[in-house]
Amino acid sequence: MKKRKSNINPSRRKFLTGSATVAGVAAASALVPIKVSYANHTASDAKGLPGFIKWKKRSSLIIHSDKTMETHREAIGSSVITPIRHIYIRNNMPTMTDAQIGKKSQWKLKVEGVKNPKTFTLSQLQNLGRTTMATVLQCSGNGRGFFPHKPRGSQWKTGAAACVMWTGIPLSTVIKACGGLSGGAKYVTATGSDMPSNLDPKKALVERSVPVKVKKDAMLAWEMNGVALPNAHGGPLRFIPPGYFGINNVKHCGKIAFTKDQSQVKYMKKSYRISPIGKKGSQYPSCWEMPVKSWITSPMKRSSSGNVSISGVAFGGTRKVSSVSVSTDGGKNWKKAKLIGPDLGKFAWRQFVFNAKLKPGKYNIASKASAGGKSQPKLRMENRRGYAHNGWRDHSLNISVS
Amino acid sequence: MSANFYKILTILVLFSSAAIADENAKGMKLFNEKAMCATCHTMKAAGSKGNVGPNLDTLKPTVAQVKDIVTHGLGAMPAFGEDGLLTPEEIDTVSIYVAKNAGK
Repeated sequence: MKKRKSNINPSRRKFLTGSATVAGVAAASALVPIKVSYANHTASDAKGLPGFIKWKKRSSLIIHSDKTMETHREAIGSSVITPIRHIYIRNNMPTMTDAQIGKKSQWKLKVEGVKNPKTFTLSQLQNLGRTTMATVLQCSGNGRGFFPHKPRGSQWKTGAAACVMWTGIPLSTVIKACGGLSGGAKYVTATGSDMPSNLDPKKALVERSVPVKVKKDAMLAWEMNGVALPNAHGGPLRFIPPGYFGINNVKHCGKIAFTKDQSQVKYMKKSYRISPIGKKGSQYPSCWEMPVKSWITSPMKRSSSGNVSISGVAFGGTRKVSSVSVSTDGGKNWKKAKLIGPDLGKFAWRQFVFNAKLKPGKYNIASKASAGGKSQPKLRMENRRGYAHNGWRDHSLNISVS
Repeated sequence: MSANFYKILTILVLFSSAAIADENAKGMKLFNEKAMCATCHTMKAAGSKGNVGPNLDTLKPTVAQVKDIVTHGLGAMPAFGEDGLLTPEEIDTVSIYVAKNAGK
């Protein structure tokens, strides 16, 4: 882990120092930490990519386990859409194999809670309607690695997020083909077909309910960044409720139901709840709409003095980003950045750039985005599982200018 | 040193290595049977090839890490401690077993 030089985040620094002195003892290990050898792809004992994602670019990824990996902060690139070989992997169930999926054109999607319940094959859906949409796909725990109480789970920093171009069918078209909703639905409940049959659905089925209002913009996607949706990202069909955290974008989607109640499975009822530290339960809010967030991707460490282009990405969940400000002094002063590159709609992220004139020295650079009248807070919202972090301070960078 | 001392020492060493082997066997039994870790995790030493959770041979967790996650659960992983699925002693045994054998 890299040590932060400035004192902008004393709590985190204190933690790092504390854990180092008791290495090997319980205090250091209330989680599965990133080992440096995993994180750094250039280390002599760096782990390779597991078989199901051999096609990814190793040097763009930080490996947390054989099942979870995030994109290096700088590997997001600056072309709005994240290259597919750089996109993070976080799958609750094992990725389905080609053999398990069978003939992709015959993949089945069951639709319930509509006037005429139906089962469609993928090829039927592909001939029923089509749309393309860019959305930010972000794991609920992206930024967990900044929480000083070290919540269990992968210690994501910024890389469990990507901006993706999806092609598929609008959910509204599917509803229309089924004669409309049967009435009384409060949620869209999407079910994955990826749970191994020896597990208990109540505990392991990935089934997520989101408010029925998502039907306006949601889609079922079979293509990602111009290629057939890879199995590792939920192919051949994935539910995309734009602006909602990754978990709601159900992979290997086999069923869509319009329901009066939320699903009763563990992944809906207990997991992904934003509760205070030390508390848990289904009374706490679910990881649904993503809050406004941004982070700088360049420069990461150092720069030459003079004109320095500070750039990054910003998104507003279900709301359009209205502005981004950048600070070069740890948040004392803020100046408006310029939104650049194509605007791919409110669910995509925007790139921003701010040209600063910097003399040699140390700087703490931070970004703060606004969307729908809300700005990123300075601090993280403390919560038990380390979800939904959008505080700007933890996402700031220390750079040296020479 | 007296001959007696060495006798006692030899007995102690034999006894404790037998105890360690016994604990290891207990841990493996818990791993494969009562706790059913093998259903979801790969660990060569236990002969398991589960593919739901992380590969333990790759992860090589510490005793404390295993204990924490076995006690509290995570996602599809049950909270064996909180939900009373394993006793605290069993959690200790299986945690030590996993930490010792992962990656071997």
